[in-house]
Parts: sequence; C-alpha cells; structure tokens
Amino acid sequence: MKSIKRICKLLLITLALSCLVACAKDSKKDSEAGQAQGNNGQPKTMNMAVSFFYPSLDVHKDYYGWYTSIYGVSETLFRVADDLSIQPLLAKGYSVSTDGKTWSIELADAKFSNGAAVTADLVIRNFKRLAEVNERFAFLADFTYAADGDKTLKITTPDVYPTMLSDLTAPELGIMDLDGTTDFDNAPICTGPFVVKSFDPEGTIVVEKNAAYWNGNVKLDLVNIYYMQDDETKLNAMQAGDIDGYTSVTAAAKEIYAADPSTYTLTVIPATRLQFYVLNKTRLDDKVREAINLTVDCQAIAEYLGGTVSAAVGPFSASAPYGQVKKPAVDTAKAKALLEEDGYVLGSDGYYAKDGETLTLNVCYYAARSLDTIAVVMQDQFKSIGVKVTLTVQEDPDATYIASGDYDIALYCMIADKAGDPYYCVSALFRQDSKWALSGFANAKTEALINELQYETDVNKRAALANQIVQQSIDDNAFGYVGLFNKTTVTARGLSGIAEKCPFDFYGLTADTDKN
Amino acid sequence: MGRYIGKRVLHVAWIMLAVSFLTFLLSYLSPGDAAMKKLNAQGVAVSEEVLEKTRESMGLNRSFLVQYGDWAWHALRFDLGTSYKDGFPVAEKLLKGLKNTAMLAVSSILLSLLVSLPFAFLCALKKDSWLDHLIRLFSFMGNSLPNFLISVLLVYFLCVRAKLLPVVANKSLSGLILPCLALSIPICSRFIRQFRAELLEQLGKPYVAGARARGVKSRYVLWNVLHNASISILTIIGLSVGTLLGGSVVIETIFRWPGLGKLAMDAITNRDYPVIQGFVLLSSLIYVTVNLITDVSYHLIDPRLREGEGE
Repeated sequence: MKSIKRICKLLLITLALSCLVACAKDSKKDSEAGQAQGNNGQPKTMNMAVSFFYPSLDVHKDYYGWYTSIYGVSETLFRVADDLSIQPLLAKGYSVSTDGKTWSIELADAKFSNGAAVTADLVIRNFKRLAEVNERFAFLADFTYAADGDKTLKITTPDVYPTMLSDLTAPELGIMDLDGTTDFDNAPICTGPFVVKSFDPEGTIVVEKNAAYWNGNVKLDLVNIYYMQDDETKLNAMQAGDIDGYTSVTAAAKEIYAADPSTYTLTVIPATRLQFYVLNKTRLDDKVREAINLTVDCQAIAEYLGGTVSAAVGPFSASAPYGQVKKPAVDTAKAKALLEEDGYVLGSDGYYAKDGETLTLNVCYYAARSLDTIAVVMQDQFKSIGVKVTLTVQEDPDATYIASGDYDIALYCMIADKAGDPYYCVSALFRQDSKWALSGFANAKTEALINELQYETDVNKRAALANQIVQQSIDDNAFGYVGLFNKTTVTARGLSGIAEKCPFDFYGLTADTDKN
Repeated sequence: MGRYIGKRVLHVAWIMLAVSFLTFLLSYLSPGDAAMKKLNAQGVAVSEEVLEKTRESMGLNRSFLVQYGDWAWHALRFDLGTSYKDGFPVAEKLLKGLKNTAMLAVSSILLSLLVSLPFAFLCALKKDSWLDHLIRLFSFMGNSLPNFLISVLLVYFLCVRAKLLPVVANKSLSGLILPCLALSIPICSRFIRQFRAELLEQLGKPYVAGARARGVKSRYVLWNVLHNASISILTIIGLSVGTLLGGSVVIETIFRWPGLGKLAMDAITNRDYPVIQGFVLLSSLIYVTVNLITDVSYHLIDPRLREGEGE
C-alpha cells in the first residue's frame, strides 16, 4: 500500500519534471537558427505559418507553384503588382504583332540560384513541361514557340490571345533550371530570392537566402515556414512568439491582435476570392428574384463575418477598371411590395404565401469559406420580409446541387480575379457551357459579349465589356455578389514585405522581406 | 495455439476483402470525385474539358467493378497504387503516417498505463475514501472534456502563458509531449475507472481474504490481484491501442503531427480513393493484429485457457 503511494508521488514528480526539462530551450533546435538579429552576426531569421502545404516543390505540378512563389523560391516572367497592373519580372519587355497572335518577350538578365542564365530556350522548355505535367495548362501545348537568340522568345497562338501577359503571371509558370535540377520535388533550382535548405513534405520547409540573387539584395538570411492548418494553433504560435506572421487571420484572432497594436501589425485588404449566390431563373420568377436581391444585405453580412470579407457589388474589386458596376441598395419595403405585386399575401404565420403555398426558398451551400454563416444570416434576412428559407448543406456542391440545378439559391465561393483580367471569371460564370448554365441566365446575347471579350485586345474595351456583362447579371437578378474575402495578414512589429498588401494568395517572400 | 493463430490469419484475408469492397463502393457512390477536388483545390474554376481529360487519366471514368478489380489485383501484389492528389506511392505515405502515429500511440498508452494503474490501485484499496472520490472526480472530468478542448487548453497554458513548451515543435521529444498529454488525459481517465472496477472485483474474491488471513504480504496479494485482473485490463488496452493506431485527426491537426488520422481525413476530403483504400486495409490489419495479440496473451496469462486447448 505504502509502495503504491510512493509510486504515485514519484509519477507526479516525474511528469512535472519532464515537462520542465523538455522546455522551450529545446525549440531552438527545431528552428534552424535563433531569432537573433543580423547585426549580431547571427542569421536574420523569420518564422511564418501557412495554411496549405503540398508534398512537392515541383513548380509546374498541380498548385505547387503557388507555394514555391510564396516561399520566394520561384519567379515568373511577369508579376501582378499590388495595384493589379502587370509588371515585368524575369521578362523586361514585350511586344505583340499586329494580328495579335505573336508575342515577343524579351528576357531580363536573370540567373538561377546555381549561377546559370535564364535563356529563351529554357523558358520554352519550361512551358512545354508545364503543358505535359499539369492538366490545367495543357492549352500551352497549342502554342508555337521559338527562341530568337538567348534573350528573346516568341509565342504564337492559334487565335488572338489578349490575356497572354496576365496568364504568364500564373505561379505555375515559374521558371526552373530543368538541366540543373536533379530533384524537382524537393529542391528545384529557380531564380527567386530564396533557395530550399530543407523540406519536410507537409511539415516544415526552411529556405535560405539566395546569395546569387540576380535582382537585388536579399535582406533575410533564413525563413522557417510551418504548415499549420488549425487557426487556434496559429493564434497560439503567434502569441507565444513562435511565428512572426501569417495570413488568413480569423475574425476572432483579428480582435485579439487589434487589441495589442504595439506587438502586432494587422493589414487588411480586399482580395480576389468571391462569395456569391446564383438565383435559379427556372424556378423563381422575376419579381421574386428582384425581391431577393433587394433583401440580401451584404454590408450586414460582412459585419457579421467580423471584417473577414468586404461587401461586394460585383465579382471584382471596385477599384479595378472592370469592377465598375452598380446594384440597387437594400430596400426591404420594395421587396415586400414586389412580392405582393406578384400575388403573394402575408399570412398570419408571418410568411408570404400564394395559392395556399408558402413561399419557401431552398438555399444550398457547402460548409466552407463562411458560406454556412452566410446561409444562416440570409435566412434571417429573408425571414424579416416574410420569406421562408430551408437550408440544404452539401459536402460537394459541384457534384450535387450545381450539377443537378436543384436549388433556388446556390451559394458558392471561387477566385474571381486570377491575374488582373476579368475574362476567366466572366467565362466561368456566364457562358452557356458553364456549370451555372442550369440556373437559366446564360443566353446568346451574353455569350456574344463574352466571345467579344475573349478576343478584345484593348484593355479599356475589355474592362467596358466585362462591366457590361456583369451588369447584365445584376440587372437580370440572376446573380448576387455577397463579399470579397479580405486578405488579413498579421505580422509581428517590425516585419514587412510578405505581400501583405497584395490581393493575391500566391505571393509571399521577396528580397525586400525584412524583420527589424 | 498454432491452429488458432492460423485460423485467425485466414479470417483476416476475408475481413480485409469485405472491408475494402465496402469502402470502395461507398467512396464510389458518394458525390464528387478526385479529379474535381484536385483541379479545384484553390478555388480556381476549370473547364469541363480539362475535368474530363483528368478523369480519364485517373481512370475515374471506368466502371466500379473495373476500378475495384484493378485496385484489388495490384493490392494482392502489395502495390497500393499512387495517390490521386500528389502521385506519391500510397504505401510510402501510409508507412510514414503509421510511424508517426505509432510513436504517438505507444507513448500515450505507456504514459496512461504508468499513471492509471497506480491510481486505479489506490482507488480500489481506498474505496469510498476522500482520495478515491477525488481521483474519480478528476477522471470523470478528463473523460468528459473533448480532445480538442484539452489540446487547446494545454497549448494555451503551457506554451502561450507559461512558455514551458514551444507551440511549433517538430517530430522531436519536446514535440511529442503535448500531443501525448492531450491523448493520454482522456485515456488515463477511462483506464482509472475501468481498472478500478476490475481490481475491486478481484479484491472482493475469497482468495484475497484468504491470503490476507494467512498473513501473506500485501505486495504478493496485489501482484496476484493484478495477474487475475489482467485479462480484462489487456482487453481494455487492446481496444485503445487499436483505436490510437488508427490516428487521431484532431490531435494531429492541432499539433501538426503528420499521422494516419490526418492522412485519412485529407484523403476522404480529396476523394483520394487509393489512399482511402490503403488506410482501410491498414486499419483492418492493425485491429485484427492487435486483437489477435490480445487473444494470444490471454492464453499466456491464464493457464486454464491453455488446459482447455489441450482437452
């Protein structure tokens, strides 16, 4: 008996001691170097967290190029600037033939991290490899390529291709040294300010300064990038000082950081991921759809979501030239009047009904990107004007309600602006062969405008066409644009340059990233 | 014993066939497919043409029986295929996940046993005393709290407030402490209550009273009590080991521990059928093996079962 008591006491002491012994000092072994500043002779190190992680660093495969770009390892010919303009990077200039089909791109004097030069021939081989290994870029195989010397490459397309430059900013088109790289999955040789030091697939990646960086002085020596899927873990790591920054800050964490501005810097900008809903024209008549759009209060939804989204008017940022659309302000009185004009009568249960049937809308959504919250808020807003809503949640929207068209209102989220051009989004939403065609909006007039947009080379005309098309979708009460996700980045005081002001998700570390 | 083990091994083959078929069927019938998940991962829309081409290259446009047959044929030759998501060999991914999960599972079980056995004994011997009530109260609390809450509390108090441990810890010893604690607390709480019940049952038996009356020393009595209660205790441990080796998604996500649970969850979300199938096979094998080891250990511990075999 006494021995059991002794054992219990010993256990408690052992437990307590082992917790103390394996304490924070161990963590210095986990990161490659300490947090010391560069001017002490110690490597200047930064730690950051990312929410997605892939098992390979092959720039061309899948979406891995997004992450090699975020890690500062790979670079593309062109880059989208914070103001959505296309800027040269590995390219220094371009020209396009009068027929709009041949693009001549002049390369900058860029070098890979192993000192090899970036040549036109190597760029062409990169594009061809991308077309082979990535289904989404198989269209690159339809182009004809030619190298005019080492520094000029010509791309000839079968048709006029006005979006060439913005497509060339896609991170999957990052340029690798195909001859010098022996291990594409773990150590690709690229041109970026950082090179891979160690890579634990779906774990931690350590990148170090590219001493031979061709485009300026790299300020940081070492960056440890941790894969953290859980938002609480990121918050705790930030509070414990284990990381110096991350994006996709939740509303709850944002409040905590905002309360301590001396320690944390928050940067919030509207990004390009759109939350929207589609109204099924085949089930809902014009007045009902108009009433719906006059009821959904996007500003209230944005506030409810704690600042993680900005209320949207159209699918694009209001600051973009192709984001100049208008929609009517919320007007619940008019919404009710429209329903009454349509023959609906408010019953004693507080809901509108016609011919003995209560007006009930089936809102379909999936539980991601705050769409579940939006669905509930919308249900509440509709209830206030006397419209009943049933919510249907599906795990896979594409295979269920979108494929079948079995919805009154379908909520969805997608990247609306891939690289500073509206064609991709407009085509994905409004074309007659798009997955939303079952909603009944797609029509010949809109299709003709989209076809015109596809081949229009003048940037201003492109913007005007996009505005016209999107305005049609608003005026027809076929689509409703709820919010654009904000890119919310938190950084420890003194840290800057992790693309916190860029609306795109695929930029991160640069030569100017610094920690003071 | 040899025949018994042989029969059980044969059963494993049937179980794995049935489980793999059922899982493949359910995955096939569930909406969505791996091609869409892969292409749409970052919310970028893709055209129907690209989607169809990808489905074709993945073999997803074949019938259910053809897909299952193809998979089963390769699996029989120990080739579990490659992941739809990233093209890596499934066997490699599973082994890596198993290694990490096993490390966590073994350390959690050991810690739980180290703590729960002595406390269970204490509770049994001091039945209905204030100590018994106190320990049972804590075990009740530990059992009631969900895993994710325990994890978040541990991280908050030990890492953020007290700064005793890092939040970001790789697969080192310090990185093992928190997930191990998070897993062990509910296991320990359950074990204390269950072991206590078993020990109380044994302590109430006549042989204990007889031994004490004859002046046999306490430690010999308790050793025999433990021996006689060990079959039930082993059953409880066996069930827990099987569950732990299947991985814990919540713990592995919060603590960035790349184990089987997380791998399985990601595979299900991404409709990564080869990984799902591989995981199901591996889990079945683990459960059956653990149960077999538990059953064999009964024979080793209880001589009456061995005598029964002889007859």
